[in-house]
Amino acid sequence: MTTPTTFWRLAGVSYVQYVSKASSTVRAALKEPAKSKALTQEAFAYNRAQWTTGVQGEKTLVDALKSVGK
Amino acid sequence: HSTFLQHADSTMMLSHLRHAATRTATLTRSFSTPAAAGAGLMKLNFNLPQETLYDATHVRSVVVPGAMGEYEVTADHVPIVAELKAGMLTIKHEDGGDEKYFVPGGFSLTHEGSTTDIVCPEAVKLDDLDPAVVTANYEAAKVAASSAESGSAAAAEAMIEVEVNKAMGAALGMSMA
Repeated sequence: MTTPTTFWRLAGVSYVQYVSKASSTVRAALKEPAKSKALTQEAFAYNRAQWTTGVQGEKTLVDALKSVGK
Repeated sequence: HSTFLQHADSTMMLSHLRHAATRTATLTRSFSTPAAAGAGLMKLNFNLPQETLYDATHVRSVVVPGAMGEYEVTADHVPIVAELKAGMLTIKHEDGGDEKYFVPGGFSLTHEGSTTDIVCPEAVKLDDLDPAVVTANYEAAKVAASSAESGSAAAAEAMIEVEVNKAMGAALGMSMA
């Protein structure tokens, strides 16, 4: 990769992360009812299961990437 | 005998030339063509991931907030690709009205043949933005940016918030320090 020129690239933030953060900032500044409608774009959830010795463990809900160390 | 035939051939040739010359004069003028439908207008495709705002719609022009600078795309604009910065995107309609959106970023691609594709993750109307919240978030982000470790991802995120809130404030007509 060539030398990064943007402050976010230098800090290790990718373009997708950058534009997602910018979009979140815009959504946070909205008035109701536009705000609730726009915030659905940010909502996500994953199911997580740990595999041990070829057996899938219990599925748990993940709603924040920070809780799984990302 | 042979001279009579030669005379006939040259007469035929001359009459063909005369016929061809008068025929070109009856063709339509080559320096102007009738205006096609949608002449002077450009075609706009403006899409968000969740919604299509404009699909092959004829508009007069679009003012695009490029990261390298703002520019206006009209009909027959030279092909150009630009990353967008947080700012105002203005669509100037055929009937003379202006429509403004605030976009956090995205891309604008202008193609040969007056078609422009604009894709943004979000596009909001200024009426939907709350100036008090923008000011509050701007102040909070400035504090977070100064207190975070320089060069860290947290500092970068705070700086993104500062930048975007400042752009929203400017769009709303507020002076942000």
